[in-house]
Amino acid sequence: MSVRIVLLTLLVFACVLLGLSAGAVPLPLTAVWSGLISGQGPEAGIVRDLRAPRVVLAFLVGGSLAVSGAALQAMIRNPLAEPYLLGLSSGAGLGAVIAIASEAASPWAIPLAAFLGALAAVALVYRLSVVSGRRLDPHVLLLSGVVVGAFAGALMSAIMVLSDAPGVRNAFLWLLGGFGTASWRALAVFSAYAVLPLGVLLFHARSLDLLALGDEPARHLGAEVDRVRRLVYVCTALLTAASVATCGIVGFVGLVVPHAVRITVRPLHRSLLPLVFLVGGCFLVIADVVSRTVVRPLELPVGVITALVGVPLFALLLRRTLA
Amino acid sequence: MILAARDIAVRYRAGGPLALNRVSCEVGRAQLVAVVGPNGSGKTTLLRALLGLVPVEQGLVLVDGRPVGQWPRRLLARTVGVVAQQEEALLPLRVADAVMMGRYAHLGALSAPAERDRAAVQSALERCDISDLADRSVDSLSGGEWKRVRVARALAQEPQALVLDEPTASLDIRHEMELFELVRELVESGLAGLVITHHLNLAARFAHRIVLLSRGELVAEGTPAEVLKRETLTRTFEWPLAITSWRDGSPQVVPLRSSDPTSQTDEIPPRQEAP
Amino acid sequence: MGGIIYRVLLRYLSLALGVVLSSGTSGCGTRPAVSSGIRVVDDAGDTLVLTAPAQRVVSLIPATTELLFAIGAGPTVVGRTQYCDYPPAVRAVRNLGDGIKPSIEAVLATSPDLVVLYNSGQNAPVAGRLRELGIPSLRLNTDALSDVPRVARILGRLTGHRSGADSVTAVFDTALAHASQSASPRQRKVLLLVWEQPPMTIGRGSFLSELIERAGGQNLFADVSASSGVISIEAVAARDPDLIFTTTEGPSAFASRPEWQVVRAVREHRFLRVKGSEFNRPSPRSPAAIRQLAAKMRTPTP
Repeated sequence: MSVRIVLLTLLVFACVLLGLSAGAVPLPLTAVWSGLISGQGPEAGIVRDLRAPRVVLAFLVGGSLAVSGAALQAMIRNPLAEPYLLGLSSGAGLGAVIAIASEAASPWAIPLAAFLGALAAVALVYRLSVVSGRRLDPHVLLLSGVVVGAFAGALMSAIMVLSDAPGVRNAFLWLLGGFGTASWRALAVFSAYAVLPLGVLLFHARSLDLLALGDEPARHLGAEVDRVRRLVYVCTALLTAASVATCGIVGFVGLVVPHAVRITVRPLHRSLLPLVFLVGGCFLVIADVVSRTVVRPLELPVGVITALVGVPLFALLLRRTLA
Repeated sequence: MILAARDIAVRYRAGGPLALNRVSCEVGRAQLVAVVGPNGSGKTTLLRALLGLVPVEQGLVLVDGRPVGQWPRRLLARTVGVVAQQEEALLPLRVADAVMMGRYAHLGALSAPAERDRAAVQSALERCDISDLADRSVDSLSGGEWKRVRVARALAQEPQALVLDEPTASLDIRHEMELFELVRELVESGLAGLVITHHLNLAARFAHRIVLLSRGELVAEGTPAEVLKRETLTRTFEWPLAITSWRDGSPQVVPLRSSDPTSQTDEIPPRQEAP
Repeated sequence: MGGIIYRVLLRYLSLALGVVLSSGTSGCGTRPAVSSGIRVVDDAGDTLVLTAPAQRVVSLIPATTELLFAIGAGPTVVGRTQYCDYPPAVRAVRNLGDGIKPSIEAVLATSPDLVVLYNSGQNAPVAGRLRELGIPSLRLNTDALSDVPRVARILGRLTGHRSGADSVTAVFDTALAHASQSASPRQRKVLLLVWEQPPMTIGRGSFLSELIERAGGQNLFADVSASSGVISIEAVAARDPDLIFTTTEGPSAFASRPEWQVVRAVREHRFLRVKGSEFNRPSPRSPAAIRQLAAKMRTPTP
């Protein structure tokens, strides 16, 4: 166990260093160091004001998405669950497109609209799942998510086709994700949103273990199943909506990372969740590094990288678990 | 009385039929009660009502003297251990970790298991005779072994009552007997035991009292000899039966075929009343 | 379905009528006598033959709309895109949408005898369909300054306004040479920022890049060959532009954001702002656009 902790710490450290030194302008580690510490040198501004917040933000977002994925998988009892299945991505997309189409001036307009759109979609999915009488039943949840997602997606496409506003088609680019405009302020805002849900999820780690057994066994063993389900739902929604508002739609982190971690450790959430957080953070930091170096000086959307890496990884994991 | 249902009525759907009608059932310490009856007689409903999983329209359900509705799930889990009829082993857990989940009702959200918890798990594993399976993954176990793991998990809760729903379903003779012996042993060491079973003969051998339900109503309640009478059972199960008795005096039920010769004396001989 | 057949028949009749009428008239104004056939190879490689100069042109590229009016063929334009805004007279012409994959019905409703489409893959099936229906269509590239005289000449031939095209071309070439000469001698590094969320720039070889270069600037991302791409603020900061070119009106929202303050040009408010559709497409107005840019580069406004 302690060997794992050491290895993990090294991994996190290595990823952070990589994130700080790689980029459109590759910087040697000495420049990174002097930039961080002393603030001297021409690269100081880049390292301190752009790369450092970017790396930390990518880490936090990656960790949050991974934890959301793990919690959702326990709650829905489906290993294929991902935060984005609750209609979140289409809701966020719709919000973003509305913000762009209405030519809102503030630079916060798009992220805020995406956040609200994501939450609206999630609330709608919740409402749909309750209407059929079975509160947050996993199957109904998944179906409702697909339905709401499709609806929001259709609305989004309609607006994009009909709107005259310039750049509405660029909404796609925003949605595909990126940390290119990361700043300390964006980091502060995201942290403020993420701390509470993350804490709540971790606090309920044992309940997640029980929930994964099934509703009845969970109740018999002392879990307040309905309450925990609602909590997980709300926390996951908040974390994911905040992520989308920060950097667009970055999929597969919530799907692949919990799987990969579960293969190597016991599936008990008290240790699983923190591990998943760290690995998710590293994953996204690396994906971000790839996104800004592979077609230097242009940037590829981070969501594209996570999908390109995530899909084969997932196929591999699937084979290992089924074997 | 650890578990008590007094004159309860349960209706699943408003305007629908009563699933249970004026049924009473009590289990005390060191007592093993078996609930029997044909399919659809309300056995599982009775269990769910006793555990507060389904609301009662009339009557009272008490757990350790308090109405079940007032029990938070966590506290209830510390008092009653339940082994459901079926549970899929979904996660690749170690047996020891699976049994440790029985302690969750005692553990705080973030605190690590203490010595006390580990001891309870160990004791549960030993009593169920699965200590050697502690490091195995639950998805590599046989049906009987998995069932025993679940019993151990319920025991790890250190409950006052143990409730089992059809525990012998799909078990072979050896595992059936081993399970009932285990339950009887646990009951004799102080637990209150409630078993739903379709296995009349095992109920007759192991239970102190039997509750016979039919179509949501209480048909008979008492010792096996009192309840397992030919006329009562034939009427309830709608099948001709004969009652014989085994060496230990417990009545044994034999379903008749149309080709079996009938006899007026298909009843326990009076000189061998149940102990 | 029946409607389309009806319109096709109508078009045939009008073409036949047009041929009959024009074969007997002497040209008025700048219209020359009809030649035996006008043959053009368009930018997609297809050959187009008109038996007579086009009289009803649907122009689905803003650049060609401007050129048609410039060479004197304005009255022949019967359909335009929603982005066609120059000259002001163009507003009277019917708006047929955005020009990419236009509604064929809408196009046919104007009874055209020539349709000009932008040379994009999405328009290939449209061009094909129109030709099947007997309407000559051509696809043109209008992305670079060099396309202006070339396309002007093509349009001049097709509409019978050759001399108009020649004069437009001559004026354009002279003005262009003149504008380049008056360009600021110092090579200012200019960031072409076309979108903010996420930040996007335009690579070399694109029209805007060309304009900036002729005005004496240097595209900050001249090493990028893609027509557009998402960039990071980091890359901008490292390359340290002298000016930031945007087409938005007024103070740009991105300029006040903390993460952009790493870029010197943002801190010092060195923005190059322009307004007007002459910056969106190559046209006879381009030399004036270049002069405007050059002037602004000498005195940037905050």
